[in-house]
Amino acid sequence: MSLRVRLLGTIIGAIVLFFLISVIAARLVLQRDLLDLGKTEVTNGAGAFGGYWDSRKDQIKLLVSQDAVSDSLRKILQAKNVGAMQDQLANIARTSGLSFLTIVDDNGKVIARANGPQPGTLAQNKLIQRALTGETVSTATLLGPAVLAGEGLALQAQADIKGPDGKTVAQADQGIALVAAAPISDQNERTIGAIYGGILLNHYYDLVDQATRALGGSAALLDGDAIAASTIAQPDGTRTVDVQVPIADSVLKTGQPYTGSDTEGGTEYLVHVDPIQNDQNQTIGARWYGIPMTQITGIINHTTQTLVLWGLLAMIIALALAIPIVQALSNTLAKRSQQVRAAAKELGVVIVGAEVSGDHIAQTKAAVEKSGALIAEIQAGAPSPKMSELRAVNDELEGDIIVIDTLSQEMSGRMQQAVHRVAELNEVAGGLNELVTGEKN
Amino acid sequence: MADVVLFFASNADTMIATKALKDSGITAKMIPKPANVTSSANLCLSIEAGSVEPAKSALGTAGIALGGVV
Repeated sequence: MSLRVRLLGTIIGAIVLFFLISVIAARLVLQRDLLDLGKTEVTNGAGAFGGYWDSRKDQIKLLVSQDAVSDSLRKILQAKNVGAMQDQLANIARTSGLSFLTIVDDNGKVIARANGPQPGTLAQNKLIQRALTGETVSTATLLGPAVLAGEGLALQAQADIKGPDGKTVAQADQGIALVAAAPISDQNERTIGAIYGGILLNHYYDLVDQATRALGGSAALLDGDAIAASTIAQPDGTRTVDVQVPIADSVLKTGQPYTGSDTEGGTEYLVHVDPIQNDQNQTIGARWYGIPMTQITGIINHTTQTLVLWGLLAMIIALALAIPIVQALSNTLAKRSQQVRAAAKELGVVIVGAEVSGDHIAQTKAAVEKSGALIAEIQAGAPSPKMSELRAVNDELEGDIIVIDTLSQEMSGRMQQAVHRVAELNEVAGGLNELVTGEKN
Repeated sequence: MADVVLFFASNADTMIATKALKDSGITAKMIPKPANVTSSANLCLSIEAGSVEPAKSALGTAGIALGGVV
């Protein structure tokens, strides 16, 4: 693997690693922070939904209280004019949006109802009992089948409750309602009866629609653990109703709010569920408010995608800058490597030349010495001035050749050291070349 | 004028001294070490007696240690 591949690989690896860690860290932080933010949002939304709930409860209490002090109603009640009373109750209920409105006498016996002439008694009703003692009562409550039947509302509350798997798990015959009861007094402030009215919330969508319009998200009212009314949309666009909400179990059992994930109508929501309690502080249902989890995951995914795109762009820019730099660096190193190898090769020739020259000088020295010996032998047999002169020249020549031979040996020793150095240099150059080009020589 | 012999600590110093003297314009002849010279080098330099002082100066400038003069 060449140096440029390693360098570029290192750069890409570093960018990818940095990039992956950044994306993972950003995702984790976003997930945690946005989930916290979402929980705050649904908790606030649920608080506002609770405000609409309380407002509607107060509105019912006010309507019933006003009716209780109505002169015309009191007179009709004193006159026992059932027909007129029924007409007036029906008129009030219709104009004020109440599901039912009923007047009882001081024994709890039904005198007239807004929804029809069904007789009966509400003497056992705790709220009526309290109203007949002079107290004005307003609360959420569960209305049983007999009460609903008396008010002509049984059909509105009846439903097949389906589990999360879509199978019917229960039959609902009671309903959750916001009700109020107030005493009716004569001119002497003596209680002569009570008026009892309210809104049955099963399949009643005004309240949840109002909350959703104002707050966004989705809202639902739960009768027990089943949805009685909601704005939660099914995949086909219809409302999700009469479906069990498993996470409501803990709210019903503990009376404590729940904040977390819940899937309804095939959509995952981040929800806040508040308990609905009656006047005896018993949890009888819940208010469910949620926002689609995609609002949170959408931001996370969008941010992640943005980071990925910018990261890729950064990687391309970094590579565009790095490639020419790495290329130039590699080329420089390769060029130096080749220069070192060429120099090593030439030094090798010099070494060989020195060795050959040394051998030749040794041969010349031997010849000069032999020549000196011959001159000495001839001069010994026949001395002459010319021979003496020749001997002097030969002696000088021998001195020079000794000097040359000594120099040659000196250089030869140093050349031997140079041989090792050049071999090392050549090895370094080869390694450098392999590092840069990836080629083995 | 008779020649004098300059000797050095090693043959390498002798070679370098030859080059230094040559660059200074002083003629020096490399010769085998005479028998009366005691040195670890096998070679010496022979120069004219009148060039001894300029040679010493040139060698000092070149940073070459002179072993002795005979």
